[in-house]
Amino acid sequence: MIEVEQLTKVYGTFSAIENVSFRVEPGEIMGFLGPNGAGKTTSMRILTGFLPATSGSARVAGYDVHENSMAVRERIGYLPETPPLYPEMTVENYLGFVAELKRVPAGDRPQQVDRAIERCNLQEKRHTLIRKLSKGFKQRVGIAQALVHDPPVIILDEPTVGLDPKQIIEVRSLIKSLAGDHTIVLSTHILPEVSMTCDRVVIINRGRVVATGTPSELSQQAAGSAQLTLELEGSREVIQATIAAGGGHLIRLEPAAQPERFHVTLSHHQPGDTWMRDMVSRMVQANIGVYEMRRSQVSLEEVFLQLTTQESPQENQQESQETQASPMPEEGNHA
Amino acid sequence: MPRLSSLGVIFRKELRAYFVSPIAYVVAMIFWALAGFFFVRILASVVDYSLRLDASPFGGSQPFDAATILLQQFLNLMGTLFLFISPILTMSLYAEERKRGTMELLATSPVTNVTVALGKWLGALVFYITLLIPIVVYQLVVYSSATPSMNYRLFVAGHLGLILMAGAMLAFGMFISALTDNTIIAAIGTFGVMLLLWVIDAAAGQSSSGWDPVLRYLSILQQYGNWVQGSLTTSSVLFFVSMIILGIFLTVQAVEGLRWQRN
Repeated sequence: MIEVEQLTKVYGTFSAIENVSFRVEPGEIMGFLGPNGAGKTTSMRILTGFLPATSGSARVAGYDVHENSMAVRERIGYLPETPPLYPEMTVENYLGFVAELKRVPAGDRPQQVDRAIERCNLQEKRHTLIRKLSKGFKQRVGIAQALVHDPPVIILDEPTVGLDPKQIIEVRSLIKSLAGDHTIVLSTHILPEVSMTCDRVVIINRGRVVATGTPSELSQQAAGSAQLTLELEGSREVIQATIAAGGGHLIRLEPAAQPERFHVTLSHHQPGDTWMRDMVSRMVQANIGVYEMRRSQVSLEEVFLQLTTQESPQENQQESQETQASPMPEEGNHA
Repeated sequence: MPRLSSLGVIFRKELRAYFVSPIAYVVAMIFWALAGFFFVRILASVVDYSLRLDASPFGGSQPFDAATILLQQFLNLMGTLFLFISPILTMSLYAEERKRGTMELLATSPVTNVTVALGKWLGALVFYITLLIPIVVYQLVVYSSATPSMNYRLFVAGHLGLILMAGAMLAFGMFISALTDNTIIAAIGTFGVMLLLWVIDAAAGQSSSGWDPVLRYLSILQQYGNWVQGSLTTSSVLFFVSMIILGIFLTVQAVEGLRWQRN
């Protein structure tokens, strides 16, 4: 339903996204995950035809977003980061206006507006001025606006941001109920949102796709590279040298409460957990005191943090090796 | 060619926005009060002059068309008055959409930028024409009792000129509104441009050498003034129509340019 190939958007010397490629199958919910400023909004704006891409192509329902912009716009419902609302209109008037703008035939408009109002649970606010709605209701009107013309593709930019926990649950279940009939792309920087609502995840950081897969695939991959958490006694340099000699990848090294002690977390490029044995015996040989030792499973959260934060210091120097330098094992190694 | 149904959606939305906006009502009130005040003043002075002419020994022989003079002076005044209200009518056309983020809705809906700009401009123009209705009515009441009787062709042409002039100003105001997301800046900027047009008018002397004819040609007020004086030419119709097209074209360019900006 959505095919994005080698999409790049450059502003002057800054590239907001670089060679972003992904596909979304019909009826699927695809989650766009990344920290703020990773390029999620830029990618979505290109998909909706709002922004022109510098290079690469994006197709929605078979139409190129640049060449057949009008055909794409008819087939897309889009909720931007701030819901595009007219405060002086009532909910019903507003949805009627959007339906007309999206070329819903006059005869179908009342039913379509009713349907959108029902799906988003806005019945009681139907005749209320948008200006007077709470933030949660405004967000729902924003979602209703994106589906009032029953588009095959719905694009939601941070649909749950700024909502209270109850509203977040409501919006998530609403999004889930839309899947199947609609293909949905949503962006978020909240991890549980992805594992709860999405069929597939594209993790994006600094404008590049760093991982793709289903939420369980990503956690499985991560589980392959279990982590070792230790409390060690010794000098910082010796600890670092020992870990490096054993081929470990240092994730965290922080001083503990007592002097000369450190909290250390590390991973290894080797799959499985047999490397831990070797690593600990090396430490003992190097006369490092081991006070605590724990094997930790990597959650999706940690995958995300690894992918999006650990890489950043290397990125500036080794731009080209970036993909290989990823601490995440390549997909397929453990499948 | 813009789709008529899409044009209608934008047009009706804009017009409705004026009718639910308190600012529009305040503008209407002030506009009507000032127009009424000046109409009565001009009417009184024309009547006074006409009475003195009648009383003077030579008066009877001189033709004095009171209705036409009243119309011309009043239309001139309406042109000036419009300079002050047009920034308020156009300030929110695009600036408000940009501020609220609704530009993103319009830009991702199946409507072209030209359709949106045309619809907005039409909305503003029709709102202004609505403001003119009561003013036209009381003018007609007064002119109906004039001797010699009113030349209604002049009346229609004069008001058509007023509307065309307003159309040109509104198109430029809309362009300036598309340049910012702050309605106050849009209003002040538009007002500045309107004042500049006034200064051009003053700077253009009456001579027919050097830059004067060019400046006179470019001055909207001068063009409008000529029209009101009765010299309704194809060239001045062309002038206003091309100003309107230019204003709308610039608006579309400005909106198009927004897509290339980083924000």
